[in-house]
Amino acid sequence: MDSSRRDFLKGACSVTAGAAICVATAETAAAAAPMRRGGDASRRYAMVVDLRKCIGCQACTVACSMENQVPLGDFRTIVSQYEVRDADDPTQPAATYTLPRLCNHCEDPPCVPVCPVQATYQQKDGKVLVDADRCVGCAYCVQACPYDARYINPETQTADKCTFCTHRTDVGLLPACVETCTGGARVFGDLLDPDSEINALLAEHEVKVLRPEQGTSPHVFYIGLDDRFQGKVDGQAALWVVRDDQGHRIGEV
Amino acid sequence: MNVPDIIETVNVSRHAAWLPWAVSYFFLIGLSTAGAFLSLPRFLAGKADCDRLGRLAVLIMLSAALAAPVALLADMHQPGRFWHFYAHFTPWSWMSWGSLLLPAYVGLAVVYGWLVMRPALREGPAPARLLALGSGDLSGFVRPIAGLTALAGLAVVVYTGMEVMVVESRPLWNTATLPVMFLFTALTGAAGLGLLFNRLLTGHDAVTDRRFYRMLALFSGLVLLNGAVWLALGWSGIGTAEARALEIVAGSNVWMGVAAWATMTAFVLLVFGLAKPRGLGWLAGLIALHSAWMFRWTVFMGGQAIPKTGAGFYEVHLPMGSEGLAGIAAAMGLWVAVVAILTMLASWRGRSDAAASASRADHAVPHAAE
Repeated sequence: MDSSRRDFLKGACSVTAGAAICVATAETAAAAAPMRRGGDASRRYAMVVDLRKCIGCQACTVACSMENQVPLGDFRTIVSQYEVRDADDPTQPAATYTLPRLCNHCEDPPCVPVCPVQATYQQKDGKVLVDADRCVGCAYCVQACPYDARYINPETQTADKCTFCTHRTDVGLLPACVETCTGGARVFGDLLDPDSEINALLAEHEVKVLRPEQGTSPHVFYIGLDDRFQGKVDGQAALWVVRDDQGHRIGEV
Repeated sequence: MNVPDIIETVNVSRHAAWLPWAVSYFFLIGLSTAGAFLSLPRFLAGKADCDRLGRLAVLIMLSAALAAPVALLADMHQPGRFWHFYAHFTPWSWMSWGSLLLPAYVGLAVVYGWLVMRPALREGPAPARLLALGSGDLSGFVRPIAGLTALAGLAVVVYTGMEVMVVESRPLWNTATLPVMFLFTALTGAAGLGLLFNRLLTGHDAVTDRRFYRMLALFSGLVLLNGAVWLALGWSGIGTAEARALEIVAGSNVWMGVAAWATMTAFVLLVFGLAKPRGLGWLAGLIALHSAWMFRWTVFMGGQAIPKTGAGFYEVHLPMGSEGLAGIAAAMGLWVAVVAILTMLASWRGRSDAAASASRADHAVPHAAE
């Protein structure tokens, strides 16, 4: 269909009673899958987390929550921590394993195609974002994310997640978690820039991603990721419950 | 005691994002579509000797179809934005298709229910006579509308099942046996509800009871069979998602208890359906409803309690407010109120199936379809 005919059809639809559906159909007829929108196609943002440098201080968790006004009890990023016993030598004291988690800004994000109103979308620079004005709060994306990276924000009643601090990175700043990381474990950058630090790290080290079997092609890469923590961790669950000032339960840590 | 090699000391606990409202929606829409299917022998095939059964099935279809969309809207965290579904239609999302299929189904179910109710409405109290909208003969529309409603119901069964099945991140959901189980448990629940309605609303017709019992036996047998297929896929490793789901829940006493309870319930329903104990239809009905509800509760609330990356399980607790117990009470209360209003407006007794069968046996003359 040539563009003038399509424009005519769009125009004709928009003045009829079923305008909304017609326009949406005309727009989507050209593409049978979600289109990337916004962002700079000459960039592909990603993050490398060097687990050898992470000390589990949660500075990133706090910086993210302050920067993005994340409601109490929810997190856009958190450093999961585990006590790991040496199965071969139980007399050894248990070691601590720390694993920063955030949205993986996947190349093939499963949260995007399920969204019934295209509020969750991917930018051309790879960032997976939510248009909170369009989101209906159906939480389908929360179910589809294989990393439990999404939640319904109780204040906005819409889907919420890590944005790679898009409001900061768009103006040349680093994400809050990267800025504050005490060990320099988090490195953010552009994969399409051959001189970027992230490209140097990827060239130098063997990296892994979380849940590769899901086929989502995550763009948060880990240096030093133990296989036992790559998927759903086989271990004992969280131990403590967090309560607010009034004693109401607000989550577990 | 075995000390685990890994203990998670710090992690986030995600709340269930699909609330018990979603369970109410899938429960009601399942019963409604099943009711539409069970009404077909009477109103599509025109078998006059199952008039009462057909009418009760239509009552199930209509009442649940009226209450279900309310539960669905309440599960959305921004229900006022429902119009975004129509402003931004998204053909690759099953939920987006649902936003077209559900209103189409509910609209047809209302017309179908109204057509079936109409002769009784005209004999009912004054407001009911107004709802009959005149006295012209519309009985010719019953059969085509019944067929169309069942087709739309089938589309709803497909979309509700696929919507959950395509979620690859949850192995418990990501199985082809799930949409099938939604259908079979819904049919079991509807047959049970038919037994309950036959007892409460229409004077306990013995032939109708036996027919609903027969369906109960068939559908609970299919539930057991489908459950066995899921287990076989998981155990054999042929089904990756099924095997993964089994692996996750196998270590949990709570999950094993739930699985044992669900299997036992289906067996009990099978025995009820085969033995057809007189006077106990209401009990079988309540168990069947419990079974249909519990399956959905386990799939949605239990499924969301399985962390995708973290260790063990998230703790599930039922809040008292609208996001929990009050929400369930509201959805079920609305449904009961709809049933009460529909039964006050018109009688759903129709012709006694027992009398129709007896007369057929006496005269051996087939009744012509109306």
